[in-house]
Parts: sequence; C-alpha cells; structure tokens
Amino acid sequence: MKKSRFLALVLTLLMLTTMVSVGATAEGEVKLTYYSTSAEVNSMFEEMFAKYHEENPNVTIELIPTGVGMGQQEQLQSLYASGNAPTFMNIDPANILDYQDKLVVFDENTDWFSNLNPGAIEAGRVDGKVYGLPFSTQGYALCYNKRVVESVIPGFDPATINTQDALRTFFETLDAAGVPPTMIHGANWSVGCHYLGLVYAVHGKDTESGNKFIESLIDGTQDIAADPLFQGYMDTYDMLVKYNYRKDDPLVGDINADDQAFANGECATFFMGDWMWSIIGTLEKKDMDYGYMPLPWSNDPTAFGNNEAVVSMPKVMCIDASQSTPEQQAAAMDVLKWMLTSAEGQEYFINAGFSMPYNNVRKDAVYNTMTQSIAAYSAAGKTINIGCFTYLTGDAWAKTGDMMLKYTVGAIDRTELAQEINDFWKTQKKH
Amino acid sequence: MRESSLVRRGGYFLAFNGLTLFSFLCVLVIPFIYGFILTFTNWNAISDAYDFVGLQNYLTVFSDKEFLRQFLITLKYVVVSAVLCNIFAFTIAYFLTSGMRAQNFLRGGFFVPNLIGGIILGYIWKFMFANVLTQVGKTFGIAWLKTSFLTNPDRAIWAMIIVTVWQYAGYLMMIYIAGFVGIPKDVQEAADIDGAYGLRKLFRVTIPLMVPSFNICIFITLSRTFMAYDLNLSLTNGAPYGSTQLAAMHVYQKAFMSKQFGVGQAEAIVLFVVVALISVTQVMMNKKREVEV
Repeated sequence: MKKSRFLALVLTLLMLTTMVSVGATAEGEVKLTYYSTSAEVNSMFEEMFAKYHEENPNVTIELIPTGVGMGQQEQLQSLYASGNAPTFMNIDPANILDYQDKLVVFDENTDWFSNLNPGAIEAGRVDGKVYGLPFSTQGYALCYNKRVVESVIPGFDPATINTQDALRTFFETLDAAGVPPTMIHGANWSVGCHYLGLVYAVHGKDTESGNKFIESLIDGTQDIAADPLFQGYMDTYDMLVKYNYRKDDPLVGDINADDQAFANGECATFFMGDWMWSIIGTLEKKDMDYGYMPLPWSNDPTAFGNNEAVVSMPKVMCIDASQSTPEQQAAAMDVLKWMLTSAEGQEYFINAGFSMPYNNVRKDAVYNTMTQSIAAYSAAGKTINIGCFTYLTGDAWAKTGDMMLKYTVGAIDRTELAQEINDFWKTQKKH
Repeated sequence: MRESSLVRRGGYFLAFNGLTLFSFLCVLVIPFIYGFILTFTNWNAISDAYDFVGLQNYLTVFSDKEFLRQFLITLKYVVVSAVLCNIFAFTIAYFLTSGMRAQNFLRGGFFVPNLIGGIILGYIWKFMFANVLTQVGKTFGIAWLKTSFLTNPDRAIWAMIIVTVWQYAGYLMMIYIAGFVGIPKDVQEAADIDGAYGLRKLFRVTIPLMVPSFNICIFITLSRTFMAYDLNLSLTNGAPYGSTQLAAMHVYQKAFMSKQFGVGQAEAIVLFVVVALISVTQVMMNKKREVEV
C-alpha cells in the first residue's frame, strides 16, 4: 500500500518538474529577441544574428520570424499581451501609433545617427519623437521586364508612359504581339494597400494631403466616387484587369508562382514593388533587367502621379521599453548600430537587395535593377509619398483589398465598390 | 468495503487529477471568465487601459450583418460536413466490418488523414486545389477544374467541406467500427433466422443498436466544425475576399485585426452559447432513441 502511494507521488512530482523549464543565464550574458515583419528575409536575419553572436559571444539574439502576409500584427499583439514582447523589432511605421507608449524614444543626437541620409529619420517619427530607424528604401509602380518589352518595342523608354492613353497603347501593342501585357497579384494587401493607396496618396506631395482625404472619407463629407483620382485610377485598374496574365483565375494569389512567372518573362509587366527581388533573386532561372514605369491615372502628362513612382521607407526598427531591461535595451541599441551602420552589418542588407538610406554605404554597392530604377525616381525627386498609409492599419487594407478583389472578378461594379469603400471608412475613427 | 475518508479520497484525486484540473482551469476556465469580463469593455488588444461600456458590445454583435452572414455560412458548412462525414464514415465502417480482405490494413489507411492535423492538411489541400487539380483540368480539358476551387466563393466552401470530410471520416469510422463490433452476435443471428437480412437488417436492427455511436459522432462533428479555425486559416484564410471566413475566424479578426477585443469576445460568447445549445439538445434528443438489447 505505502509503496504505490509513494510511487504516485513521485510520478506527479516528475510530471511537475518536466513542466518547469529552467532558463538560467550566466553572468554578463544578454539574451535578446527580435521580431521581424520582413518575412521575405528571415534567413538573412538569422545569418546576421549568428555572425553578431560570433563577434559578441555574450549577446544572443533569437529571431521571431513571421510568414508573408500572415497574421503579423496579431502575433505581435499576442507577444505583448503574454508578456513576451520582443526586445527589438522591425515593424511598419503605422504600428508605431499603436505601440507608442511601449517603445523606446530614440535620442536624435546619438552620434551614429549622423549616418542617416537627410530626411530618413522622419520614417520613424510620430508626434514629434523618433521611435524607429529605417533600413531600406523601397518603392513600387508598374514593374517591367526589359527583355520582354524590348522584344516587342525596341528601345523602350518608361518616361513615355505618362498618360492613360500611352499605357493603353503600350498594353495593346504587347497584346497584339502575343505577349501577356501585365499581371495583378490577387492578394488583398497588394490591391488594397498598394493600389488603392495611390488614390489617397496622390492627392498631394505631403502626408497631410493624403491624411486629409482619408479623414474626409471618415467624416462622410467625401464620396470617393466623386474623386477624379479614384475614377482615374480605377480606369487604369480596368486596363490591368483586362490584360492580366492571371485573368482566368485572378484570385489565386500565390506569391511564389507570380514572382517566378514574372522572372521567367511570361508577362511583360507586374504591379509589385522592388521587394519582390528578395524572392526573384534566389531563383536559378531569371531575367536580370527590370525597370519601373509610372501608373498614369489621367491623360494630362503634367499631372502629379503620372510621372512618379512610390518611394518610401516601409519598415523601421524599434526597441521595446515596456518589457525589456535597460541592459537589453542598451544591447539592442548596439546591435542596431552594427546592423545599420557597420560595413559588415550593411553587407547583409545589400546582398538581400535593400537600398539603405545611410550615407556610409559602400559606394560600389551594386543593387538589382528594380532597386536601381526606384532609386533613380528618388534621385530625380519623382516620388509619391505614402505617409498617409499610417491610416491603413488594422483591417483597413484587408477589408478594402477584399472589395477590390471582388471588383477584379466582376462580383461588384464600380458604383458598388465606391459605396463599400465609403461605408468602410465611415466606420473608422480619426487618429 | 473499507470506507475511505474524504481527505484520503480527495488526496488521491489531487495526486492524479490535480495537474489536469489545474491545466483545465488555467487554459479554459480562467480565460473564459476573464474574456467574459472583457466583453463589457472597449479594450483594443494592445493598450494597457480600457473603459467599461456595459452591454454595448452585445448590441453591436446583434446588429453586425457581417457576423450574421458568416454565422450562416458556418451553419451551412457545419450541417453539410456533419451529414457527409457521418454517411461516409458509417458506410466505410459497414464495409470494413463485413469481413472483407485486408480490412485491418484499410482501417489504418482510412484513419491516417486524421493524424495529419489542421494546418498541414490545409496547406496540402491548398496545393491540391490550386495547382494539382487545375493542372489536371488544363491537361485533360475539364472546364470546371481549370480554375481553382478556392477562388470562387461557392466552390471554396465546398473545398473546405471536402477536406473536413476527408479528415474526419477516418476518425468517425473508428467509432462506428467499435459500435458495429459491439452489436451482440446473437441478435444478428436471430435477425438472419427471422428473415431480415441485407438492408432490412441494417435499418431495423443494426442502426437502432448503433444510436449511441451516432450520438457521439454527430456531437463530435458538430462541435469540431463549428469551431473550425486551423483548416479555415491554412486552406482559404477567408479567401476569396472574405467569403469563406467562418465564425471563429471572424471572431479572431474582429478582436485582433480590427482591434475591437470586446466585440470579438462577445461574438465568441454568442457562438459558444449557440454551439452549447445545439450540442446538448442533440445529445438529449438522441438519448431517448437509444435502444437497449
């Protein structure tokens, strides 16, 4: 009798001890966690952190990876709510608004901040304070495959596509030659955030114009159907839908299949940003020469938006202040300094095709042709600012993107689309 | 029998069940109570502060057309899945207890899909629907296979039903097999002698004796399909354009993406009440039909 009772007790204790994980850190060791929403380059971060650990053995950094387009906001929320907030992270500037009271405010007089290009520090500025540092300049417009386009139109110059008629003729020429003119990636983030975002952003060169337009939609004082930019961009979208390489089944939205098809030259143009190089660059068989042309919304060649591409610093690196120790925060700061301003750290970003907005990046860095094209737009000042995208947080791009997808397959017409977008914005609140 | 004192019995209970009880409390009961409290607040899932707003969230739930629409879609999915799962499982179990060759091997084979589990299963079938079936359609010129099941709102829900049936038929089959094997041999022989064989025996003798198995299986399918989330996420993720977003996914999206945790949790409570009512009613109704030999 006594033996079996004793055995029962021992078994229970054993079960208890296996449940308790012992996480002792030795003296002087710092353990950091890094949450990355740049899902295309998870392996790049892993390699970087391994290298940093080699050089600084007392600092271990664990990457918390995410999947492309998959629940990144929710994952971060649950990390914070469960008390496992990452020590530092890269997030969208829009998320700074959500987590403002939990992030470290950077001291703008930090010595190594002088390496940032002029204006780059604005990427992480909210309410006058800087919460994050950018690591990449990215952009989007209509990407074209040089080899495929020039096989039909030798000596093609993208600057000639600055009116809707020019784009239409361009598509018709390609179509007549049997080349699929364009491709839409059937994902709600691509058409809801990036495409529809143009309608808001092209209202003016500064962030305020876009914000004001969105706020007028929230108020209900603006009907989006009455906006010439909306109608213009939807006319252009109809062209994209008509000549879509995926028009038999536009909603499949397989990012790998679409990137691969574009890299193989199966279509001439693709509405996607230069971040797609992080996938295309890894393919064995791919075309190397690409460029960007504007997406015109009207037939006025001087109108803003008809000659420009979107250029932005889409991600910023922030440090958590609410659940990390001062040692961890200081260590994270050092890691950021190494990642962003040291030649070694920058090399990883350069190899992944990121154009870094820092003035000490090695001058002989050769970027892929997509990034080069966007950089040219940036250098020429022909940029569309999408600062108003801070309003496209939460479910905004997912919901409006779904509406755009319905429009793409013809489940709703343009009047219904405008009505749904109006109704959606009326349920939102101003920041 | 020696009388054990309450303390001794309680001690044994805690020693063996204490751990599971503790886990049950932590993982199910406490979050449920805390969530219920949060339905009366306007927490946005990130900030540290929130206000109490009374019953406002419940009012929002009942006026949310989206939630109603998705609830009806979930209902359609649940009913069709439950019916098809059980018919398939019963039929397979019937044949695999009839003494055919290799029936043990086949039993194992049919059970394997159930072991694969929600997320992986979803990704495998997503590939099947989007790539394999479309390739078959293109190669053999079958029109309705040329486009993916997953890009049409009506066909996407059928894709979910197909995968659910594929996953659960094996599991339910095991329960039905146990039911078949549990029917006493003398009752079956008596039926054969009295001239009831084949379908007549099936409907008049076998099925009434199998009602406990039906009870269990229908309860399992109803509760599992109502709460389906992992398959929903990996197979369709609500696509196309949110039309296959089942109730659980809507709750999750409302709470975390739209950052209206109180409303999302209120929807979850409503869902829980509905599922509890349906399941308990179903079990109670069928209990009366159970036949004793």
